[in-house]
Amino acid sequence: MNQTVLSRQLNFNSVAAIVFTTIGAVLFFIAPSQIDEPLIKIGYGTQLSPELFPRLVAVSFFGLGIWLLIASFQIRQRNQLRELDREAITNVIVTLILMAGYVYVMVYLGFVIGSALMILVMSTYFGNRNFLLAGVVAVAVPVIIFVLFTKVLITSLPPFPVDEVIPSHWIIYDPIKYISNHSII
Amino acid sequence: MFESFLGGFAILFNPETVFMTFVWMAGGLFLGMFVGALPGFTTLMAMAILLPISFFIHPLFGIPFLIGIYKGGIYGGSIPAILISMPGTGAAVATTFDGPPLTKKGQARKALEIALYSSVSGDLASDIITIALIGPIAAVALFMGPPELAAILFLALIVISATSSGVFVKGLLMLALGLFFGMIGQDPIGALSRFSFGMMDIEAGIPLLPMLIGVFALPEIFIGIERRATHFIQSSDLRVTGARLTFAEFKSCIRTIVRSTFIGTGIGMIPGVGQVVAAFMGYAAAKSASKTPEKFGKGELEGVAAAEAANNAVNGPTLVPLLTLGIPGDNLTVILVGAFIAHGLRPGPQLMQQQGDLVFAILIAMIFANIMFLFIGKVCIPFFAKVVTIRKSLLLPLTLIFAFAGSWVFRSQPFDLAVLVFFGGFGYIARKLHFDVTPMAMGFILGPTLEYSFGQTVILSAGNLPGYVFVERPFTAAILVLTPIFTFLMWRRTMRLRQRFDQTS
Repeated sequence: MNQTVLSRQLNFNSVAAIVFTTIGAVLFFIAPSQIDEPLIKIGYGTQLSPELFPRLVAVSFFGLGIWLLIASFQIRQRNQLRELDREAITNVIVTLILMAGYVYVMVYLGFVIGSALMILVMSTYFGNRNFLLAGVVAVAVPVIIFVLFTKVLITSLPPFPVDEVIPSHWIIYDPIKYISNHSII
Repeated sequence: MFESFLGGFAILFNPETVFMTFVWMAGGLFLGMFVGALPGFTTLMAMAILLPISFFIHPLFGIPFLIGIYKGGIYGGSIPAILISMPGTGAAVATTFDGPPLTKKGQARKALEIALYSSVSGDLASDIITIALIGPIAAVALFMGPPELAAILFLALIVISATSSGVFVKGLLMLALGLFFGMIGQDPIGALSRFSFGMMDIEAGIPLLPMLIGVFALPEIFIGIERRATHFIQSSDLRVTGARLTFAEFKSCIRTIVRSTFIGTGIGMIPGVGQVVAAFMGYAAAKSASKTPEKFGKGELEGVAAAEAANNAVNGPTLVPLLTLGIPGDNLTVILVGAFIAHGLRPGPQLMQQQGDLVFAILIAMIFANIMFLFIGKVCIPFFAKVVTIRKSLLLPLTLIFAFAGSWVFRSQPFDLAVLVFFGGFGYIARKLHFDVTPMAMGFILGPTLEYSFGQTVILSAGNLPGYVFVERPFTAAILVLTPIFTFLMWRRTMRLRQRFDQTS
């Protein structure tokens, strides 16, 4: 009987509260071992310890966790994670797997090829059957994004194979000097 | 401050840069309206995903670009709200009361035009009020030292945590989590390595950009993919039909627009309330002031004008606490803080002192942006009306690759992509469990400044912190004493506004 009442009262907010309280306690005790010792005490006199602020945050975690634990028995909120149906869970998991694969492919095969594959696979999974359109978009958009970031904003993306086609020293027209981070004032 | 205001004109109208400033701002407005017009794609997501672009261009281009997205996005949501009763953003929900009935009567064009004119009017008036307010507030803020700054930041973080979340303690916990994430890396006083848990990749701290894109953009994408659908809508008549809005019709709405502008401006200055509540408040006020309230909800132009003027009037005033005190009022302005910080411009009293000319240049650009807003909106209404027909199955992966590209360019490290996915997953779970990520992002961004100011205060106190604060720094003491009272009042006010919002909706 007691177990049933307890399970009715313990909810996701209670669990979150216990997690936060534990984090606070752990943080408080590991703080000294996780903060380097200052070689020279610049700024740190006797009254200011490098552990002071982290420990205040840890105590806040602990105290707020206890507060949430007490309040959780009164809060009426729905756990929307539990309300997710099979389709939603499958779609999110598939997307996460695709994202993990995308990171790997992008780093080793370059941004353009990785992104093209990602667009083709993901759009097909989510129901697109116009493969000609998907193919055009899968090639054009990554190239545009690549050019925007590398040739206009002068940053870098995994280049292969575009660096074989577009010379790395080539940048878009002269006003670029005003849109990089040079001071203009 | 007046010299800074004049200096702002000189910077903005520098012949070498003025053209590019307006080109970037027009680009931001267009992209904002485009994304705003897509149901399920929010202005917040657009700002988070396009934030990296602003990192790598001069702040005079990058910040107006983001402000353009902000302004355009809030308006863009009204287009599908009017045509198909599907608000593109939360801010446009109140527009669905009278927009779709007007479309059914064959007056879609009138509805879209009054939405545009009201949005531009509300935005323009609130921008002017913003500029008028920023100077005096910044002048007062300049007298603040580290103890006052620490106290103000503390107050702001607590108030935002209280008002952004339905449950106060959950907002505070997310704030504490953000402060912890902000502590990872190096401490701001002695540059001591801390909480890196032996991971070299976070020795310099959690990267800001992947974190912001992760918590604000990826959850929206995850929610978008919960249902497999090739299109946002399957089929609909999206023609913009009917006669144009006449000047007499616009004139009849002016009183409503002015009222809603003041409501939106007032709400914009209160942290954590935002455009959605402003639109409902503006709508409710217009209905109660009308001689024919029974017409509201059945296709009344004033209803559209009230909601749209109010939600766009919020945009400018949210910058007042941000630029003068360094306090972002909502999640959209948190992203703006990220852009400022990336350029070495930390919002707060010192920013107005050190870069006052640049800040005023950005604010003046906002006023001129409204002219472009009107032009782009007017010309592109038929195009934005068709945006909902874009294939969702293609747009979602495109958004995702943009998010990944933006996270990569920050440091060119694969680890940053892992940070993006981690915070994306975290943001998605947090949303499903009713934990608001806004206080966490604010704690992450403002935590180091708070810790630095707090550390300086402790050093200045020479071992007697309470005595120093309560005897030598009366303003700090007053803020600390007023913090619980002010927080309670703000929390109660927000809860009442939300209740009124729930009743109206």
